Amino acid sequence: MLKNYFKIAIAVLKRRKFFTFISLFGISFTLTILIVMTAFVDNITGANYPEVNRERSLYITTLQQKNVKYFSQQNGPASFYYLDHYVRTLKTPAKVAISSLFSPTNTYINNKKLVINLKYTNDAYWDVMEYKFIEGKPYTLQQINNGERIAVISEDTKKNYFGDVPNVVGKYIEADNVQYRVAGVVKSVPATMFVSYADLYVPYTVSKTDYKHKSLMGNYTAILLGNSKEDLPKIKAEYASVVSKIKPDGGFDVFVSGADPYLGSFLRATPLGDSRNGGISKLIFIGSIFVLLFMLLPTLNLININISRIMERSSEIGVRKAFGASGMTLVGQFIVENIILTFFGCIIGIALSFLILQVLNNSNLIANMHLTVNLTVLFFSLVACVVFGLLSGVYPAWRMSRLQVVTALKAQ
Amino acid sequence: MFSHLFKLIWNKKKQNALLIIEMFISFIVMFAVFTLVVFSYNNYKQPMGFDYNNVWVINFFPPENITRNDSVSMFHDELKKTMLAMRQIEEISFTGNNVPFSMSTSNSSINYGSHKNVMANMYQAEETFNKVMKMQMIEGRWFTKADDASKYTPVVINRKLKEELFGSENAVGKVLGEQIIEKGTAENRFRVMGVTENVKDKGSYQAIENGMYIKMDSGWARWSGTMILKVKPGTDAAFESKLFKTLSNAIGTNIEIEHLDKKLVSKNKVMLVPMIIAFVVAGFLIINVALGLFGVLWYNINKRRGEIGLRRAVGATGDSVSKQLVGEVLVLSTISLVIGCFFAFQFPLLNVFDLSAGIYLAAIALSIIFIYALVTLCAFYPGKQAAAIYPAVALHEE
Repeated sequence: MLKNYFKIAIAVLKRRKFFTFISLFGISFTLTILIVMTAFVDNITGANYPEVNRERSLYITTLQQKNVKYFSQQNGPASFYYLDHYVRTLKTPAKVAISSLFSPTNTYINNKKLVINLKYTNDAYWDVMEYKFIEGKPYTLQQINNGERIAVISEDTKKNYFGDVPNVVGKYIEADNVQYRVAGVVKSVPATMFVSYADLYVPYTVSKTDYKHKSLMGNYTAILLGNSKEDLPKIKAEYASVVSKIKPDGGFDVFVSGADPYLGSFLRATPLGDSRNGGISKLIFIGSIFVLLFMLLPTLNLININISRIMERSSEIGVRKAFGASGMTLVGQFIVENIILTFFGCIIGIALSFLILQVLNNSNLIANMHLTVNLTVLFFSLVACVVFGLLSGVYPAWRMSRLQVVTALKAQ
Repeated sequence: MFSHLFKLIWNKKKQNALLIIEMFISFIVMFAVFTLVVFSYNNYKQPMGFDYNNVWVINFFPPENITRNDSVSMFHDELKKTMLAMRQIEEISFTGNNVPFSMSTSNSSINYGSHKNVMANMYQAEETFNKVMKMQMIEGRWFTKADDASKYTPVVINRKLKEELFGSENAVGKVLGEQIIEKGTAENRFRVMGVTENVKDKGSYQAIENGMYIKMDSGWARWSGTMILKVKPGTDAAFESKLFKTLSNAIGTNIEIEHLDKKLVSKNKVMLVPMIIAFVVAGFLIINVALGLFGVLWYNINKRRGEIGLRRAVGATGDSVSKQLVGEVLVLSTISLVIGCFFAFQFPLLNVFDLSAGIYLAAIALSIIFIYALVTLCAFYPGKQAAAIYPAVALHEE
């Protein structure tokens, strides 16, 4: 039976090539745009290099202080003192990585300017993040405590600063007017990885600003790594109980902070944010509405074309009805045919997306960003495909199934 | 003629309803795209209002050991003296972190008298700020060191803020108030010393906003970690590296030097990239709709061969037949455009997104023209095909 439907579908597709082209064009391009967009979103929010442990990590990227009386509030990253004093001492997380936001500085070699993004980190940072070391190794707790001027640099920095040399460990790099000894070189991170991107990583103890300063707000973020995903609620609870005891800085009367999954930690301070998971569900809701709206126009288009195509086959429908086929059977047949069509569109769409992602990756639109079609994306695309096929097939099929045998046959 | 076309459409209302919805959504998509285009083009046309070439920005963390206000001004004076001694540097001003083409903004609500309350960008500036930026005064003068003694903080406002607060009145010498809630005090007061030409400091495609340049007091100076400076044309990286070393030693914290012309390029990119993505998506949707429309019209006309043949037989010319078919589609699109305009006109009426009504009207006009052009284009070929139908052939089929 299905084989028969398949044969008919192919025959119909071959008959009106222009219509087939329009349908396939609509389906494949809609899908391509969806896949490329989700690949971008996935690249930014997913557990990609070097933050592969995002699944079992919680982030503290913003603190919030409020003054209820004057409706004023202050949002921003935490100070090193705060994270070292209240967060690193938590019992449930396996490791707590503390690092500053990357801040740009300059260095000049051979009268050429180089912008270097500097990041101060603690030692656990190198355990929580899974950087790929091309040479050398990270600095140790001992070296941090000694205040050694030692640095881990990115592969791009190595190329830009030292040129094409095989080995740079032990050499000196000047940045921000300070000479750092290179301890290791890591694979470069795209700038879209807000927490882990930098060109030069150095111990927090060599920071030129006072890291012992006792205010709550500062320039640092923390990542709390759990032993497993199941530990995360416990970590959240422990952190919440610590937060409830912290007094806000002078001038404020409420202090808010939470350990959230990556995306949620940024949403927390926005109007979307809420205290439970940082507003991720709201973001997903808005995203789905957007995708549905985007798919509305191609779907309508497909419905229009499908109606034309189905009505063209009114004689076939008339004959089948006259020989006793029920409306439901016919609807089933046309939906299957339509899903076969969308399936072809799907294959073209996926091939196109691979092509476009390749071009985007090679064009270096965002340095070091490597977009891939991962399995989740592929799965959701296939779901979108089926929905697309159903949406655009059901209404025409229903219209067709209600056709009277007499009119259908007479139309010939 | 029209009533006849309407009757033809009404007879096939079910089939046409979907076409109408499709055209309606296309109209809405084009309306959004054209609003963005008209808005950005309008902004792009405006002059920048200042010279960003050879202007550098220096960012640094204010050293924490300097806490008293008088030591801050000493520190600043010392820095400036060192820098101005270099012959490549023409002028320097300390400022807030919302320098031109940066991602930071700082705004507050300003009121004049008791009835006006408008949002304005607040720029902390020194008496040399306008010389670094090469801004043009249109009224009054920029504040000077001598204004420090005055009771109210001296400020210079831009043309847009002046027009909003004062209209055609003279602004110089007037006193403005700022609501500062967090300090708990009622208000801050400012005296307008002059009015300057609008400055497009958020990028080439961004709208001009209200601006107020406030003379930096020592309280602000304590937290200021930004300087802007004008250098002589042709100053190279060798000098920049020398300046960097000098400053790094003098300030002792993290510093960074940026160039305004490069910042403008990256700031424009931030605006342009989402716009280009939106265009690609909209372009794809429109191609999709055009192909679909074309296909459906073509099919419909093929189905009506009998009818067309009959009309030709009773004396209609090929021209009038194709005109009728294009006319039918135009009536269809008119219906969807009327529905679309009903929604589109809500934007200027309800003042959504705070854009001027002219932008929305231009966008509506452009989208109407676009949809008509698109539909005519799609109907033209099928219409011509219909005109070529021979009555003998068409009627023979029946």
